[in-house]
Amino acid sequence: MSAQLWALAVVGIMVLAAAGLEALRARRARRRVLGSGPSDLARHLPMNREELRARDPYILYFTGEGCTVCRTHQDPALARLGDVRVDKVDAVAERGLADRFHVYMLPTTVVMAADGHALHVNYGYAPAPKLERQLAEARRTALTATA
Amino acid sequence: MSTPTSDKGFPRNPGEASDFVGIVVDHSALKINQTGIVATVLVAFAGSALYQPLLVLIPLLAIVLLLGTFAPRLALFKQLYFKVLKPRGIVKPRPVQDRPEPHNFAQGLGGVFLAVASIFLIPLPVIGLALSLLVAVLAFVNLAFGYCLGCQIFFQLERRGVLKPS
Repeated sequence: MSAQLWALAVVGIMVLAAAGLEALRARRARRRVLGSGPSDLARHLPMNREELRARDPYILYFTGEGCTVCRTHQDPALARLGDVRVDKVDAVAERGLADRFHVYMLPTTVVMAADGHALHVNYGYAPAPKLERQLAEARRTALTATA
Repeated sequence: MSTPTSDKGFPRNPGEASDFVGIVVDHSALKINQTGIVATVLVAFAGSALYQPLLVLIPLLAIVLLLGTFAPRLALFKQLYFKVLKPRGIVKPRPVQDRPEPHNFAQGLGGVFLAVASIFLIPLPVIGLALSLLVAVLAFVNLAFGYCLGCQIFFQLERRGVLKPS
C-alpha cells in the first residue's frame, strides 16, 4: 500500500477516535451537570425574584469574544426562538459559572428550569429546532410538576 | 485573523480587524485562507503519488501559514483575497464582529503542524502525509461547518489563564 493510502487510513482512524472521545466527553460533562442540584445562579447572575419565580424555562448561553460560531450560527438560532429569556454569559470572564456547567467548548447552551435545575446541555452549536424541542419538553415538565 | 493596521489605528483593508471596540473580521478572507490550505495539501497529497517533488508544497505552506501568523502582510491567501478577489468582486466580503486572535492562533497551529509534517516527509512519509492531511481536514471542517478546533484550544488556554484575554 502506498504512503498516501496509509496516511489516509491513519487520519481516518484519528478522526473517528477524536469524534468518539468528543462524544464521550460531552456525555460525561452533560451527566455531571444534569446530575447536580439546582445551581446557585443568583450568586453569579443579576436576577430578580420575579424572574426566578417565573415558570418559563430559560437558556443560559455561554459564549466568548473569540467564538465565531456563536456570532455566525448560535446568535441567529437563539434570536429565532422568539420570546425566550436568554442569559448570555462570557465563559472566560465568568469562569466559576462555566466550570459549574463543565463548559469546555463554545458555544454551550443550557436549558434551565425556573428553579435553577439544568434540564438540557448542548456543547457546541445547537440549532433553533433542537432548542425549541428542549424548551417545549422543559415546559411540559414544569406543567407536570405544577399539577 | 490579525490584520495589519495603519499607524493611526485604521484597518488597511475595510472589513479587516482593527484596534477599535467592535472589531470586525472579514470571514471571506478566512474562508479563502482555509480553501487555500485544503487545496494546497490535497494537490501535494494526491500529486505526490505521481510526482513526488510536489511534496515541497507542504513545507512551503507551513512557511506561508507561519509567516501569515506573525506578519499578516505576508499571508499569501488572505492577500490574494484582499488584493485580487475582493477588489474584482469575485468574492464578496463578509464582515463579522469577531476577534482575530483565535483565528490567528488556529492558523499558527496549522503552520506548526505542517512544519512538523515537513520534517517527517522524507524519513517517515506516512506520518508527514497524515499530519498534513489532518491540517487539511480541520481546515475543511472550519470551512464547511464553521467549527474551528484551534479557536476552541485558544478558548481553553484563555480560560485556564495560559493566554491572557485581550
